[in-house]
Amino acid sequence: MGHEIASPPAPLPVGRGEIERLTCLGDSRPHCHSERSEESLRGDEVTGMRERKEKHVSTNLGEVLHCEPLVSTWGTSVGTTDDMTDGTATTQERAMVQPIVSMREIDKRFGPVRANDKVSLTLYPGEIHAVLGENGAGKTTLMNILSGMYQPDGGTIELDGKPITIGSPSEALAHGIGTVYQHFTLVPNLSVIENVVLGTKTGFVLNLSKGEQRLKEVLTEFELNTDPNVEVRHLSIGQRQRVEIIKVLMRGTRVLLLDEPTSVLTPTEVEGLFRILRRLREEGVSVVIITHKLEEALDVSDRVTILRGGKNVGELGPDDIASAGRAGARQRIVETMFGGMPAAAETFQQHVATGKTLLELSGVSAIGDRGEIAIRELSIQLRAGEIYGIAGVDGNGQKELGEIIAGQRKTTTGRLALDGTDYTNAGVATLSRAGVGYITDDRLGEGVVPGMSVAQNAALKTINRSPFSKGFWLDRKAIEANANTLIEQFSVRTPSAQTKITLLSGGNIQKLMLARELAMDPRVIVCNKPTYGLDLKTAQFVLQTLRQEADSGKAVLLISSELDEILEISDRIGVIYNGEIVETFERAQVDIETVGRLMLSGRAAVAGSAA
Amino acid sequence: MTINGIDLFDFLTAILATGLLRAVPLVLASLGDVFAQKAGLLNLGIEGMMLAGCFFGFYAAYHTESVPLGLLAGMAAGLALALLFAVLTVHLRVDQVLVGLAITIFAAGLTGYLFRDLFGGQNVSASVRPMTIRIPLLADIPIIGKALFDRQLLFYIAWLLVPIFAFVLNRTRFGLNVRAVGENPFAADAAGVNVIQVRYLAMSLAGIMAGFAGAFLAVADLKIFTIGMTVGQGFIALAITMIGGWSPWKIAFAAILFGMLNALGDSLQIIGVNVRTEFIGMFPYIGIMIAMIVLARRTSVPAALAVPYARGQR
Ligand SMILES: Nc1ncnc2c1ncn2[C@@H]1O[C@H](COP(=O)(O)OP(=O)(O)OP(=O)(O)O)[C@@H](O)[C@H]1O
Ligand SMILES: [Mg+2]
Repeated sequence: MGHEIASPPAPLPVGRGEIERLTCLGDSRPHCHSERSEESLRGDEVTGMRERKEKHVSTNLGEVLHCEPLVSTWGTSVGTTDDMTDGTATTQERAMVQPIVSMREIDKRFGPVRANDKVSLTLYPGEIHAVLGENGAGKTTLMNILSGMYQPDGGTIELDGKPITIGSPSEALAHGIGTVYQHFTLVPNLSVIENVVLGTKTGFVLNLSKGEQRLKEVLTEFELNTDPNVEVRHLSIGQRQRVEIIKVLMRGTRVLLLDEPTSVLTPTEVEGLFRILRRLREEGVSVVIITHKLEEALDVSDRVTILRGGKNVGELGPDDIASAGRAGARQRIVETMFGGMPAAAETFQQHVATGKTLLELSGVSAIGDRGEIAIRELSIQLRAGEIYGIAGVDGNGQKELGEIIAGQRKTTTGRLALDGTDYTNAGVATLSRAGVGYITDDRLGEGVVPGMSVAQNAALKTINRSPFSKGFWLDRKAIEANANTLIEQFSVRTPSAQTKITLLSGGNIQKLMLARELAMDPRVIVCNKPTYGLDLKTAQFVLQTLRQEADSGKAVLLISSELDEILEISDRIGVIYNGEIVETFERAQVDIETVGRLMLSGRAAVAGSAA
Repeated sequence: MTINGIDLFDFLTAILATGLLRAVPLVLASLGDVFAQKAGLLNLGIEGMMLAGCFFGFYAAYHTESVPLGLLAGMAAGLALALLFAVLTVHLRVDQVLVGLAITIFAAGLTGYLFRDLFGGQNVSASVRPMTIRIPLLADIPIIGKALFDRQLLFYIAWLLVPIFAFVLNRTRFGLNVRAVGENPFAADAAGVNVIQVRYLAMSLAGIMAGFAGAFLAVADLKIFTIGMTVGQGFIALAITMIGGWSPWKIAFAAILFGMLNALGDSLQIIGVNVRTEFIGMFPYIGIMIAMIVLARRTSVPAALAVPYARGQR
């Protein structure tokens, strides 16, 4: 590797101290204050500080907040509980750059599936390490093993050079390994502070007010201006993610695992997240980040590990990345990820459609889940043969718009017509029969039925029609045959059609949903974030499929917060802001900057002219 | 002032006193059930646990002539069934509805059999003397004095448990764990909470309280056992837990309301209002149904209620 890890920098006045103090908020385990012999000089000071803290916490916050950081590195500040071996990286060892975590030859099988097949991962102190790979490559499985959620079938895990076993998530946390899972793990109807304190072990009676002020400081530190007593369900996705990160950092995390943290964030939020990650890196925290967006991985990470089919297929260190250059590195990663050169990204033929209007919304308004006006007098005309892209920052009415067309949400004003016929508030079943296909962004919530098999899910919407249904009876053979066709056509990776749908990786669930909707041969296809969580190749496949559908005379409404993919395949683009389409462009006339400004402010005015 | 020869004040006192007494077993069972439900356990065995509490409590009290021993035996019986429930649903992940009903049916059969076997089916009463406490001055207040401040010790204890349970649920680590586990067990597990352990504890508490409720009924209140004597009070407690929105305070309120309606029905008969007794007896149940229907839309049931949890299963 030969990668020099700079020794952890001097304590930052705010950041690291902040988190250090936090560590002790919900958790008074001794390791919060553990220190090394080399720092024994500071020992008394530390002990003294602890006493001070405990005495004056609620009365003299200023003192606590402005005290010196307790210990100078994460490695030393965060050990493990008493009976567990403390991370004893001495100065000497540190100079040799001992990995903080090394996973060796990890095996994990799920029935016939080898999700991890002798996978190794080496993580150094103070680095951001990206784990990349196509859908179902085994990334989440590997992280879940490190976080104690899964038990490996084989292989070893070392922490600071000492072999450890991680029997449960709470053991992982005690070792300083904190995880933000692919599907969030906050309890929605508990408050922020309750979520943060959950799982820590201090006394029987909760003393929330004691930590509240300090938590508030940290929330501000992480650019989160929420009241710690507000219930988590009132926060936006981006805010929740920050709470997740704060939650694990406060447990004394020095290895932070993030499973696809950016899929749900807006570009601004992604930037904010990366700022946080870089700062944590400076403070000596090691970060593992899983993402499908290569540009992001290259932006933020020092090292890249690539998995394919449950096996290690490549690793790029900082030197490799530097010598290959960004484009070169990207090329190499893509090749390794998919096992060979992928077909050159297709350039799509975009054109101005002249077909007849298949879907028309005129002056439609609707109320959102929280009683707010989500859609305001919105009008769209969608022609046969075109893809109409809805660009916008998440939460500007995109979800509601999709739901209106799918018949899941009632409109308060306006009209919805399909091919000239009025279908206003006609309901899901009617609209589906009339030829509307809807691909939701909430895969597990409303896209599929989690308890059912792949085959049942594939037949879900047409189960009461021939050939699946013969009078009162269901034809199992026909259901299975249908599933197998779809699996084949869309190359869905599943052990069999009888496998429970939730056991598939996210990308494969998405492919199945797409296959199911398209199999019904809709005239109008509405999709919300169809490439969410998909690997490059699958995402490309989905976009290509949508383009083909449009070219064969269907009308496609593509709702997405990824401007890139909208630009890639749409013929027309509408920018949605605050429930309104504020501007429409022909693809050829798009000015990306204007679109960006419209997305953020709803206005195209140049920022400078306002000054 | 009198109605049909009964003094109005006495009449009101009687309603209040009976109502509060009727509410005691309900509130006891409900308080425990809050923890079960908040931890994600739908305990349809509650009726059986209560009935077992009645029988074993009565059996112990009959032989020892001691109220505390009777209560302990009742709680132990409830706890034993609760542990059975927990092993089957939490560990083996058998369907909770199935297990709950099975336990209720089993307890009905078992107590009926044992009662016939041990007491020959004869209605005997236990000669126990529950301790009563008359609080000076307060007990002299008209109407409420006798109903509230001249009662047996257990009556006070039951109502004192309301704030205690509210505190444990909302202000302690255990309570927080319970609330998290019933809402999102995966999140709780990820945060380091031992989901299985919390569910076991919550279920044990629910069982103990159901047993307590039963024992109160058979030992402290009626001092007799009859086959199937709970007559659905366990299920009513379960409904009250939901109607009360899983808040001990509101549950106490709902239980009192139910008890009062019950007592009112009885009293109307006593003063000779000319309505069929069956009709009056229906009152409280209609009340429960209306409350359930009205509140069903507003309450948010714990998201993981009746859903088993196993780490690493998706
Ligand atoms: N709990 C489980 N039970 C059965 N199979 C599983 C389980 N978890 C994962 N798998 C299977 O293991 C393989 C690897 O899944 P994993 O979730 O690790 O992929 P991934 O790389 O994270 O994919 P994605 O990018 O789509 O999230 C997949 O084939 C998946 O179906
Ligand atoms: Mg994954």
